[in-house]
Formats: sequence, C-alpha cells, structure tokens
Amino acid sequence: MIQIKALTKRFGKFTAIDDINLQIAGGDRIALIGLNGAGKTTLIRIILGQYLFDGKLRVFGKNPRNHRVEVLDRIGFVPQIPPPIQMSVGELVSFAAAISFRSSKDAIIAKALELGFEIESNLKKPFLKLSGGMKQKLLIALALAREPEILIMDEPAANLDPQARQAFFLMLLRSMEKTTMLLSSHRVDEVVNLINRIIEIDHGRIVQDEQISESRLADHQLNCQVMFTEQNDQAVQILQDWNFKRRENGLSFEGSFIGTERLRFMTTISHFANQIKSLNIN
Amino acid sequence: MKALIQITLSDFKESVRAKWFLIYGLVFGGAVILLFVLGITESKVLGFTGLSRLLITYIQLCVAILPILVLISTVRSVVGDREANILEYFLSMPVSLGAYFWGKVISKFFLVFIPIFLALVGAVIWGVFKSLSIPWGIAGYYALLLASLSWCFLGLGMYISTLVKKQEWGLGLSVLIWLVLLLFIDAVLIGLMMQHQIIEGVIVGIALLNPIMVFRTGAVLLFDPELTAIGPASYVILDRLGYNGFLVFSIGYPIFLGWLFSFLGFFRFKKGDLA
Repeated sequence: MIQIKALTKRFGKFTAIDDINLQIAGGDRIALIGLNGAGKTTLIRIILGQYLFDGKLRVFGKNPRNHRVEVLDRIGFVPQIPPPIQMSVGELVSFAAAISFRSSKDAIIAKALELGFEIESNLKKPFLKLSGGMKQKLLIALALAREPEILIMDEPAANLDPQARQAFFLMLLRSMEKTTMLLSSHRVDEVVNLINRIIEIDHGRIVQDEQISESRLADHQLNCQVMFTEQNDQAVQILQDWNFKRRENGLSFEGSFIGTERLRFMTTISHFANQIKSLNIN
Repeated sequence: MKALIQITLSDFKESVRAKWFLIYGLVFGGAVILLFVLGITESKVLGFTGLSRLLITYIQLCVAILPILVLISTVRSVVGDREANILEYFLSMPVSLGAYFWGKVISKFFLVFIPIFLALVGAVIWGVFKSLSIPWGIAGYYALLLASLSWCFLGLGMYISTLVKKQEWGLGLSVLIWLVLLLFIDAVLIGLMMQHQIIEGVIVGIALLNPIMVFRTGAVLLFDPELTAIGPASYVILDRLGYNGFLVFSIGYPIFLGWLFSFLGFFRFKKGDLA
C-alpha cells in the first residue's frame, strides 16, 4: 500500500527524514513511535502529500502529491491537536461529506454517536467551542466515515475520556481487517493492543522496525475487581472515571474495560499499588 | 468543481463571521453615511455637486484605504491557515490544491467587494430617495474600477500569503508595498519631474505600473477629462493613451495584475511545502 525508497526531507540545513526505506502492506497496523522532533509528523505529512521530498513514495501505487484527490479519499487522518476551525459542527460535517466520494452525513453522524458525540444536537455549535474530547471525537468520526483503507492518526486518543477511548478502540478493532493503520504515539503502551508492528524513528531515521504478536484479548470485554486496604479519594475518582462501581464494603470496586485498555488501566492504577489488596482481571 | 464550491462557501461563511469583516464593512458603509451626514452632496467642486460629488469623494477615499484593507484581509489566507494547522487538516482531505487556493480567492473577492459595492449602491438608493440626479455612468464605471482594484490587491495579497512563513511578515510586507505605491503617485513623481533628473518616459512608466496611480487617474478622469486637478504624470499618460484608452486601461491593467499575482501565488503554493 505504501512504498518508500530512499526518502529524505530537508528543511534548509536540517534533515528531518534521512534516507528512509519502508514498505507498508495491507493489514499492517503500525505504531510510529519516537521522541518529539524525531520525524514522525514529517513522515505523516509526506505520506499525505503535503511536503516535497527527495526519493520515491507511492501510496496505492501513486504519488500522493500528484494524485491528491484519488489517494486522499482512501486515507483517513486524525491530527493530534484539533485545528481552530471556525465552521459550525453542521458546516464541517456537510463539508467533509460533500468533498468525499466515500463519505456521507449519515455515516459521520453514526460514527460520532458510537464515540458518544451527538452531532445533531450540536449542529449550530462552532467547532472551536467544543471541548477537546468532543473535537477529537468529531475528527475521528469524519475520518472513519470514509471507510479509509489507510488510517493515519497522530496521538489519536490523547484528548478522549476513558469511555470514549474504549469506544474508539473498539471501532478501530472492528475495522482492523480491512484497514491499514499508522498510529503516531509517544508511548507504545497506549496502542500496543491494536498494533502488529512497531516502527521507531529517531533523528529522521528508522531505528527499529519489528513485528509484534497480536493481543487475542484486544476486543474482549474484561471484568475487573479491585480491593483497597484503605480509603483513597484519588483512586476512587480515577475508578469512577473508568465507570467502576463501588461495592458495599466501600473498599472494593468492580468494572470492565476492553482488552486494548488493559495496559493503560494497570499503569493508571499502579500509582496506588501500596494500597491495593487484590486485583482480578478476567 | 464540487470541492471548489465547498471551499468557497465555507471560507465565505467563516470570514463573514470574523471581526475583520465587520470592521471592513463598517469602514466603507460608514464612509458613505459620514459623507451624507457631513453634507458633501451640498458642496460643489469643479462644477460637481450632489451624488456625483459624493461618489468622487468616496472614490478618493478608496484610493487610500481600499488597497491596504484588501491586503490586510487577504494576506493571512494561506500563511494563517498554515500557522494554525488548518491547512494540514484540510489538505489531508480529498481536496485539490486548485480547489483550495481558487476557492479562497473567489470567496475573498466577494468578501472585499461586496461591502464597497453595497456602499456604492446604498449611496445611489439614498440619492434616489433624496431626489438627486443619479450619475449612472460615473456610478457604473466606479463600480468597475473598485472591482478591478480589489481584484488587483487581492491577487497581490494571496501571492504574499504564499510567499511568507509568518503572518506578521505578510502584514509588514503588505504595509511596505502599500506605502511605496502611495508614495509613487503624483506627489513624488512631480518632484522627480521637476528635478529633471529622470527622463519623462521612466516617470510615466512608473506611474503606469502603479495600480493605485492608475486607479486614481481613472477615477479623476471622469469628472476632470483634462486632468487639470492632478499632477503632470497623469497628464502625460492621458496625452499618450487618450481619454477612452485610459478608461479601459485603468480597469484592464489592475485586473491583469490581479490575475498575474494570483497565478504566481498558486504556482508557489502548488510547488512548495503545504503544511
């Protein structure tokens, strides 16, 4: 799907991408990791046809710079920071549906609803006035409504609350069979259950490219029970954010999350490890 | 075509909501209202009074303020979207670069021209209401002149917008260009002519290349066919091109410049890094 040969991108004297070779096949779900300034965003922008470059790049066998419309209609993109678009929600939805051959208002509304964002009751609201999470949900819905063959996302879940993250990951899991994904992230644990390949970029070069085994529990709903040795208000707040219910004794909590969120849940709750009496995930 | 229409409409709607558009509209609408309130229709210059007098004053005001207002309102189009990462997002969608750029150009043209045109139409309607005689010829020609000058500076603004990396640089460059063009109307050209240091042909050439000078001369020409009210450069130009020739030139030349700068901007936009 994506072939990159000897790709180099320079900004003046600074080399942002340095002689990269990469093949991305259909079904690859890649975590593109690296520090800030490593070259992740530059590589994404080159694939989206936004930067000139030296070397060779083919997306669906075509140069995205010269065949923008046909290539980009098959790619969904979600930026890390929602841009300050002045349009209302309704205008943005109409715009995105109108310019694509593969999208529609109904599809966008349905995708947004799955993520917990009701477009129809926010039609008149300016996009700028939405909360960070709402903006991100809408941008994800706009990208997924096109049923893209390649999905490129820059820190996609950064602004989402736990419920929306779970819905988002479930949507991604459902589209895994037919979608190639490129997820840019600072932290691999955020996306580890979604991916089957990790590419690490450092100083514009690929320093790691390896296949990883897929999680078989990624799309399973996991039940979880946590018992604390003592009351901890901060832990209670976090568990409530994860939709956990308190049991009668006051120190036990019960809830569930999907497999993709397992590592993130455990990382979050590990801050209270000294007060955890028992933890069951099944 | 669908994408072009969508970009044009969305940019138009976005800009209409922006504060700059409100201020822009108030400046031109307010200017006409102010001229009426000040009783300019009662005064007389070179035999002109009533609505003709008002239109002449209005067009003189436009000579000075229209170019800079058009530049300020368009120069941020591409560079502003780039800085705010709006360009990165919209150009990740299946939109051709032509649709994006020309959609913005079309939208901005209507945005800058509509308030000036409405002010002109408002003045005519007010004139009808006040039973003043309507100088249809002057009103029609001025509408064309204003459209051509708007198009010229819109093209220049879009070109600057693709040229600079920061909005501040674009605004700074716009003000600089505007000041240089304003300096090189008759005021400076008279001085150069009087010093006899530069040959007449060069001075006339400078005057003819300056769209503000061309606009000013064209605007004055209608009520002062001998151009006695303005400087010698204009007089020489008139002598060379003739009355009708200059009327056509004063509309055609800014339109040509507008297209030239728009295309230069588009090619720069198309051939460079987008985000």
